[in-house]
Amino acid sequence: MTRALVAIRGVTQRFGPDGAAVTALESIDLEIPDGQFVAVVGPSGCGKSTLLSLVAGLRMPSSGAVLCDGEPMTAPMPRKVGMIFQEANLLPWLSAVDNVAFPLKLRRVAKAERLAAAARMLQLTGLAGFEDRLPHQLSGGMKQRVAIARGLVQNPAVLLMDEPFASLDEQTRMVLGDELLRIWSETRKTVLFVTHSLNEAVYLADRVVVLSARPGRVVDDVAVDLPRPRSFAMTGSERFGLLKDRIWQHIKSAERR
Amino acid sequence: MRRHERLIVAAVVLGLLALWETLVRLGRIDPGLAPAPTTVADALVRLAGRPEVRASLGVTAWEVLAAFLIALPTGLLLGFLLAEMPLLGALFRPLVNFLFGVPKSIFLPVFILVFGVSIAQKVAFGVFTTVFVLIVGGIAAVQSVPRDLITVSRAYGATRAQIIREIYLPAMAPILLESARLAMVFNITAVLLCEIYGARDGIGYRIAAWGENLQMPQLYAALVLVAVAAVAVNEVLRAVESRLGAWRQTQ
Repeated sequence: MTRALVAIRGVTQRFGPDGAAVTALESIDLEIPDGQFVAVVGPSGCGKSTLLSLVAGLRMPSSGAVLCDGEPMTAPMPRKVGMIFQEANLLPWLSAVDNVAFPLKLRRVAKAERLAAAARMLQLTGLAGFEDRLPHQLSGGMKQRVAIARGLVQNPAVLLMDEPFASLDEQTRMVLGDELLRIWSETRKTVLFVTHSLNEAVYLADRVVVLSARPGRVVDDVAVDLPRPRSFAMTGSERFGLLKDRIWQHIKSAERR
Repeated sequence: MRRHERLIVAAVVLGLLALWETLVRLGRIDPGLAPAPTTVADALVRLAGRPEVRASLGVTAWEVLAAFLIALPTGLLLGFLLAEMPLLGALFRPLVNFLFGVPKSIFLPVFILVFGVSIAQKVAFGVFTTVFVLIVGGIAAVQSVPRDLITVSRAYGATRAQIIREIYLPAMAPILLESARLAMVFNITAVLLCEIYGARDGIGYRIAAWGENLQMPQLYAALVLVAVAAVAVNEVLRAVESRLGAWRQTQ
């Protein structure tokens, strides 16, 4: 087995005064090998997003540790980890290309170099020709493509995606899912993808990690053995249905409680 | 405005002026109350040539500018502090909101008592009137910064200074400029009110004197002068504002 690129070791996260009030995540152990596409699902409020912000280094766990490439995450490491949020969160006063180049600007990369890199990423995400548009001139799907390009521009080994397609309509969602798989097959990032949609999780991922209701624990770790490249036809297959059903049983029992 | 809209506005204004002129000449309007536009224009040219009138304009401009330059950093800085420091905000924001709603003109006699009838009094009253607009504007500007963009910047490794420069400043710029423009309107009003109420110089002082002496052509000419100057300042600030805030337009 390839060594783990992201290792989550005994992570517990509590919130509230003195960390005593609410336990969001409890004893999470996950090893994610290089290049794997992992979806994280679970009932609402199970701490999926909290888990991502821990891997992003945006917060520190109450106990346990997150390692990226063997190094403990104590602060954001933008060169190793790219983050994509539910909303595109583009800077509304910057053009598409400047938004994609923004992480490089923060690192003081020379202007010509960062704009060239950003233009390549827009090409990769299918937005060539839209470089100079301002965010309010782009559709929701296009904005999210810009956000994905921004997440990829530093060529990080890990891509964290926090329900990135949740605010898009169904069709845009499906198109962007396929686009993401194409980009992933071209770049071979390690992806940690939080979603509410079981379809999306099974369709996109190599592996689906199922969290329980709060406090979030790993209740199942499902290997998705559907062949790649994935196609829309597979979503109707028996195997697809079985995998989805297995995950659904956990969610259902958690939501009922 | 588009070109044909501008033409329509110009035509309406010229038409009204022509009507006014005709009514005065036909004796339907008392020129002692509203002198004909040509008479006002004539007075305007003569006034503009008089050194003491120009000096008065200079005094007023100086008072307005001084008050603005003091109030601008003071007000905005106080606004930022009240927005960013929860304790300070909880203590003083109700007070600021309360004073924001009080008409400042009722304090004018107090300023005369404290500062005497002086340039300092005009500047102080201008600052006092303006500063609340800027505090409230400063608070609104900070609150308009989207928290999500700060999280994104942090995830991409931005330092505190970078977050201020790359997120706070551009996000706040349109509201800051809008507040500055509004503050300028309040400021000019306050200084002119001071001058009309009691002064030894300034264009407000002259307007009051011409009014008392029923020198209507001079009075109207001065009104035109002040209006043009105030509108010019306003329009310049608005041009900068819409340029820096172009990204705020939806569609």
